[in-house]
Amino acid sequence: MREPRWLARVALVAVLALVGAACAEEAPPGGGGQQGVDCATVEFGCVEVGADEPIKIAALQTLTGDAAALGQDQVYGLRLAIDYLDGSFDGTPGQILGHDVELVEEDEQCTAEGGQAGATRLAADPKLVAVFGTTCSSAALGVADTILGEQGILLISGSNTNPNLTAEGVHNPFYARTAHNDKIQGAVVAEFVYNELGARKAATINDESPYADALAAVFRAVFEALGGEITGFEKVQSTDTEFGPVLTRLAEGRPDVLYYPDFPQVCGLVTAQARDMPAFADAILVGSDGCASKDALDLAGDAAEGWYRSGPDTTGFQGGDFYQNEFLPAYLDQFGVDAALSVFHAHIYDAFNIWKEALEKVAIENDDGSLTIPRMALRDALFQTSGYQGLTGTITCTELGDCATDVVIAIFQAPGWPELDPKAEPVYTDTKSLQEVAEQYGV
Amino acid sequence: MTRAATEGLSGEGVGLRRVERFPIRRVLLVLVSVITALFVVIGSWKTLTLPAGRGYSAGAWRDFLVLGVAQGAVFALIALGYSLVYGILRMINFAHGEVFMMGAYASYFFAAAYGRSGFLDRSPALALLILFAVAIVVSSSVAVLLERVAYRPLRRAPRLVPLITAIGASLFLQHAALGLFGAQTQGYPRPDALKGSWSILGVPVGRVSALVVLVSAAMVLILSYFVRSTKLGKSMRAAAEDQEIASLMGINVDRVIMLTFAVGGVLAGVAGVLFALRFQFVHYSMGFAPGIAAFTAAVLGGIGSIAGAALGGLALGVLQSIGPALFLSGFNVPSPFQLKDVVTFSVLVLVLIFRPGGILGREEVQKL
Amino acid sequence: MSGARLREGARAGLIGGAVFVFLGMVGMIANFAGLSLVGSQVTLGLVLMLLPALIAAATAARPRVEAGEVRRLPTPAAAATGIAAGAVTGAVVAAALLVVEVVTVERIRSVFVSVSPTLVGIVAFHRTWAVAAAIHVAGGAVLGAAGGAYRSLAPDVRRPVAVGLGTVLVLGLLQRLVPTILFELGLRSDWLYSRTTLGLTWPGAGLAFAAGAGGWVIWRRRRRWQPGGPLERLAEGERATRIALGAVVLVGLLALPLLAGSVISEILGLVAVFLLLGLGLNVVVGYAGLLDLGYVAFFAVGAYFTALLTGADIVAVLGTAEPAFSLHLSFYAALPIVILLAAGIGILIGAPVLRLRGDYLAIVTLGFGEIARIVFASEWLQPVAGGAQGLRAVTPAPILGIGFRQPQRFYYLALAACLLAIFVSRRLADSRIGRAWTAMREDEQVAEAMGISTVKYKLLAFAIGGAVGSLGGALFAVKLSTVQPDSFTILVSIVALAIVILGGMGSIPGVVVGALVLMGLPGLLAQFEEFRLLIYGAVLIAVMILRPQGLIPNVRRMRELKEEERLQDAWLRAGEQAGEEPEVAVAGEEARP
Repeated sequence: MREPRWLARVALVAVLALVGAACAEEAPPGGGGQQGVDCATVEFGCVEVGADEPIKIAALQTLTGDAAALGQDQVYGLRLAIDYLDGSFDGTPGQILGHDVELVEEDEQCTAEGGQAGATRLAADPKLVAVFGTTCSSAALGVADTILGEQGILLISGSNTNPNLTAEGVHNPFYARTAHNDKIQGAVVAEFVYNELGARKAATINDESPYADALAAVFRAVFEALGGEITGFEKVQSTDTEFGPVLTRLAEGRPDVLYYPDFPQVCGLVTAQARDMPAFADAILVGSDGCASKDALDLAGDAAEGWYRSGPDTTGFQGGDFYQNEFLPAYLDQFGVDAALSVFHAHIYDAFNIWKEALEKVAIENDDGSLTIPRMALRDALFQTSGYQGLTGTITCTELGDCATDVVIAIFQAPGWPELDPKAEPVYTDTKSLQEVAEQYGV
Repeated sequence: MTRAATEGLSGEGVGLRRVERFPIRRVLLVLVSVITALFVVIGSWKTLTLPAGRGYSAGAWRDFLVLGVAQGAVFALIALGYSLVYGILRMINFAHGEVFMMGAYASYFFAAAYGRSGFLDRSPALALLILFAVAIVVSSSVAVLLERVAYRPLRRAPRLVPLITAIGASLFLQHAALGLFGAQTQGYPRPDALKGSWSILGVPVGRVSALVVLVSAAMVLILSYFVRSTKLGKSMRAAAEDQEIASLMGINVDRVIMLTFAVGGVLAGVAGVLFALRFQFVHYSMGFAPGIAAFTAAVLGGIGSIAGAALGGLALGVLQSIGPALFLSGFNVPSPFQLKDVVTFSVLVLVLIFRPGGILGREEVQKL
Repeated sequence: MSGARLREGARAGLIGGAVFVFLGMVGMIANFAGLSLVGSQVTLGLVLMLLPALIAAATAARPRVEAGEVRRLPTPAAAATGIAAGAVTGAVVAAALLVVEVVTVERIRSVFVSVSPTLVGIVAFHRTWAVAAAIHVAGGAVLGAAGGAYRSLAPDVRRPVAVGLGTVLVLGLLQRLVPTILFELGLRSDWLYSRTTLGLTWPGAGLAFAAGAGGWVIWRRRRRWQPGGPLERLAEGERATRIALGAVVLVGLLALPLLAGSVISEILGLVAVFLLLGLGLNVVVGYAGLLDLGYVAFFAVGAYFTALLTGADIVAVLGTAEPAFSLHLSFYAALPIVILLAAGIGILIGAPVLRLRGDYLAIVTLGFGEIARIVFASEWLQPVAGGAQGLRAVTPAPILGIGFRQPQRFYYLALAACLLAIFVSRRLADSRIGRAWTAMREDEQVAEAMGISTVKYKLLAFAIGGAVGSLGGALFAVKLSTVQPDSFTILVSIVALAIVILGGMGSIPGVVVGALVLMGLPGLLAQFEEFRLLIYGAVLIAVMILRPQGLIPNVRRMRELKEEERLQDAWLRAGEQAGEEPEVAVAGEEARP
C-alpha cells in the first residue's frame, strides 16, 4: 500500500513542479539558477523572499487548554531566539541575511485534530520556510508532519519525545526535533534503577496518553533486556483519582521499583497513595519529565520525600553563564514571567538556531537583495547539523531527525528537584545515543 | 404507569401478539443475562484459582474492600445530591458534579492560605470547620443559582429539556472554573492530624478514609432525620409526591425546590472538601468523573431514595475496586483496572434491565 | 415618565453588571479585545463590554403581557427604564474596579487568574478609577437609554436596525473567509476589510449595515406585495424558483473549495464530519425523542473499523506493526460493512435499554460512549486497536489513484456523504417511519395503542442514527489519517447534541446551521478556541430556555411544542410570538396575590 502512494506523491510533486516551471518561464530570470539550484525542477521548489520581505516562520504550539503553558513557553523561546539574531537580548528583533523574521503563531490544541487544522493553515502559505512545533507528539505524528512535509516545510519540535515520530518507516523526511527521544530517557532510567539501585523487579503505571504509554514501554523493554523482571504493568485513565486498587494489584508482585511516567496529577496522586501502602513504603518510586512540576510535589505532599524523577539535565545548561545571566533575565524582562523550569524554551531556541545555520548555508542571496531558499537543500543542511553547541548541549542530527542524540538525562531525588530548588544537583546523569540504545537493548 | 398496568391493559391482545411478533427483547434479555452470569462466574472462578504467584492474597482482597468502601463513601455523599433533586423534580441535575467542584475549589484558597500560615496544623478542627463552611456556602449558592437560572424556567417543559440544560450547565460551570481559576492542578494541603493511618480491627485504615466514611455516615443519618422529621423535610416529601397537591396544601413549591437544591449543595460541599482532603488536589475538571460515578451510584441504589444512594455509592465503590480484579484477571486481561468503568457501566445496565428502579427503588417505567 | 420600571431596570442592571464582571473574570473581554470587528476601535472585546448594559436595558423595557394584552412602554418611559438598567450595570462594573483598586490586581490574580493588568487596563480605559467609574456609569446610562428606547420602537423600524447590525457583526466575524473568497474571485477586498486590523473598515461596515437593513426592508416589502396565501406560494412558479435556487446552492457548494482555498476547506471538512454526527443524532433525538449521550460510540466504531478494514498500521512503541485483525479492502468496499456494523451495534445497545425512562436512557448511553473509548484505548485490545498509540496510515480513500485527504478533495467526499445523509433524513422524516417516530415521541402509550411497535421503531432510530454517525467516523479517519482514542471523548457527544439543539431538534436545515456555527466559527477565529466549550454550555442553556425550537425550527416539531404549551403552560410563548417576547414569568408573578 505504501509504495504506490509514495509514488503518487512524487508524481504529484513532479506535476506541480512542471506547472511551477511553466509559470516561472513568464517571470524575469531571477537568481534561481545562478548557483546550480534550478528551483523549477528541484523537488519541493524554493521560497523566494523579496528584497524587503521578511522570512516567514511559524510556531505550531499548544496555546489553549491544559498544556497551554508548555506551548507558550516555546513561543517565548522562539521570540528570544529572533531577538538574539542581532547578538543581544535588547527587545529589537535581529535579521537573517538582511531580512527580518516574521513569526506566525498557530494553535494545535494538543490533539491530532488541532494539529491537522493548524498545519493545514500553515501549509497554505507558500512563503513559509519552517514551522517550530508541535508541543504534543499526537499533534505531529501522522498529521502535522505529513501535511507540512508534503509541502516541503520543515517541522522542528522542541518538546515531542514520542519515539514513533522518528521511527524507521514512520519518520517524515521534513520532521526533526531537538527534544530527546524517549528511548534514551527510558533506557537511562532502566539502567539507573537496575545498575545503581540494584532493583531486579519493576512495575509500571501509565495513563492513556501516547507519551506515557511509549515511555513505560521503552522502560519495560530495557529493564527486561538488562535481566530484570517486570512484575506487572497497569494502565489507568488520566481522570482517575483512586489508584489504591491498581497499586494493590501491583503490590502482589512485590516490585522493587514502581515507574510511572505521566503528568503531574497522576504522578502526584500515585506517589501519595503508594507511600501509604506497606508494600510501597520502601519501594523505589520513579516518575518522568512529565511529572516535573511543583504541582506534582504539592499533590504528593510528604510522600514526595525520596521520589525520583528523570528528565533532561537542566543543571548542565542552567549553570551556563549565557543561560543564567542573559537568557533568563531577558525572558523575565520581555514576557513579565519567570521562565518555567522546563527545557522546552531552550530546546526550541536551539532548534531555531540550527535552522538558522542551515538557512545561512543554503540560501542564495540575489543581487536585488532577495533571497532564494531551496527547500530540499535546506532540509538536507539541517539534517547534516553536527557538533553544534546549543543551550542544551551539543546537537547532532540523525538521518531520522533526532537532533538531541547525546542529551544528558538526569535523575533527581525529591526534595532535590529543580522545581523546588533551582540549585538542586541530580543524583545520576548519563548520556546515550540512540544507536547505543538500539544495539544494547534492541529497542 | 407501571409495566404491570401496561401489560394488564393489553392483556386481551396477548395471544395475537405472540403470533405476530417474535419476542426479540425477551430473547435478548435472556441471552444477555446468561452470558453475563457465565462471564462473572467463570471469571471469578478463574481468578480465585490462579496459581499462587499470579493470584491475589487475602490481604489484597481486604485492601480492595477497604479502599472500595472509602471511595464509595464519597460517591454516596455526592449521590445523595442527585437523589434529592431527582426525588422532587424527576430530573437529573447533571451539573451536580460541578457544584461539588466549585465548593472544593473555593475551600482550596482558604486551605492553601491556612497551610502556609500553619493554622491548619495548629488547630485542624477549627480550620476544617471553616473549610467545610466555605465549601458549603459556595456549593449551595451555585446550586441555588443553577436552579434559578437553568431549571426553574423549564419546570413544566418536557423532561428532555431540563436534562439538556443540565448538560449545558455542567459544561458551562466546568469551563467557567477553567477561565476563573486556571488549568493547573492545585495541591490541597492535609493537616498533620489527618496524616498516617489508624488501626481498626487490625486493619490499617488511612485517617482521611476513616474521616470520609464517618462524615458520610453522619450526613446520611442527619439527612434521613431531616427529611423524615422536620417541617421542611416533610414539605419536600410532599412536593416529591405531588407538586400540585402540595401547593394546594399551602406549601410554597418553588421555595421547597430551591431549598432542596441548597441541601444538595451542602452535601456536595462537604463531599468536595472530603474529596480534596483525600486526594489532596483540586482541578477544574475534578467534578465530572465523580459526578458521573455518583449518578451511576444513585441509579444503582434506586434514585430518589436516601438509603438507595448510600447503598449504591458503597456498592459502586466496592465494585470499582474489586470488580476488575475479580472478573477480568482470570481471563488474563492485561491491565484490568483500565476497564473499571466498563465493569461499572455493565453492572449499571444489568441492574436497570432487571430492576429498572435500582436495588432499593420502586419499579417505574415511564415515557420520556 | 409614567410607567417607567425603574426598580426592574435596576434589577436587570445588577444582573447585567454581574454578567460583565463574569465575562471579564473568565478572560473573555481581554481575549477578544484582540479581535477587531470594525476599524481598530470596535473589537469583539468592546462589543462584549457594551452588550450587558444594552441587553439589560432592552430586557427591562420590553413589552409585556398584562391582562391578556401586549403593552409596549412609551419611548420616554422605556428610555428611563433603560437608563436605570444601564447606569446600574455601569455602577456594578465601577464597584468591581474599585475592589481591584483596593485589593490590587496581583492579589486578586492569585485566585482569579484571568484578572490581569491588561484586563483592568481595558475595562478602566487606562484611566484612574474615578474617571473609569464615571465613564462606565455615564456610558451605561447612554447605552441603556438606547437599549430601552429601541424596545419602544415599532417593529418596522427595529428590525432593519437589528438585521443591519447583525450583518456587520457576521461579516466582521467572517474576516478570514470573505476576503479569501473575494481574492479568489479576482475581486479586491481592501474596501471592505482592513489589511492591518483584519476587521471591517468603517466604510465597509457602513455598507454592510446599509446592505443588511436595506435588504431586510426590500424583502419584507416583496413578501407583503405578494398576492395570495400559502397555497399560491406552493404553486408551480414558486417551485421552479426553488429548483433554480437549489441548483445555484449546489453549484456554490461545489465551487466553494476552489474559491475558499485549503484553509477554509479544512474547516468545512470538519464542519461536514460534525454535520454528519448532528444528522445522525438528529434522527435519534430529534425524530425519535431518545436522548443519546453516548453518540461518540458510533463515531469511534466508524473510525476504528474503517481503519482496520482498509489496512491501517498499529503504532507500536517499538516500530509499526500489522494489527492482529486487518483487511485490505478499499474504502468504498469497507464503508457498507462499517455502516451495517454500526447499525447492528446501535440495535445491540438499544435493545436492552429501550424500556428505560428517558433520563435513564441518557445515562446508560453515556456509559456506552465511555465504554467504547476505554475499550478501544485499552491494553486488552492493543493488538487490534493499537491501545494508547492508536492506528496510523489510514487509507486516503482513493478513487482511480486520487486520494481524498487534501482538504479541498476531502470536502467533496464529505459533501457527498452529507448530501446522502440529508437525503436519507428527509425521506425518513416524511415517511411512515417518520410519522411513527413523531407519534412515539409525542405519547408513547398512545402510539403503542395505535398499533405502532415502539420497540421496533426505537431500534430503527438507534440503527439509523448509528449508521450515519459511523459514516462520520469513517470520514474522520480518512481526514486525519490516524485514529487515536483521544479523539473520542464524551465531548464529541455533547458537541453533537449542542449542534442538534442549537439548530432545532428534528430540523435538517437547523442541524446544518448548528454545525456551521458551532464548528465553523471556532475554526475561523482562533480567539474562540479557548472559550468554545464555555460558549457551547451557555448555548445549550440559553436555547432551551429562550428558544427551545432552535434557530431554524422544524415546522411539525414546533407545532408540537406549541401544543404542549397550550396543554401545560406558557414556557414557550416567547418563541410563539416571534419578535415580541412578552415576559410571561413576571406577569404571572404579579397576577399572584
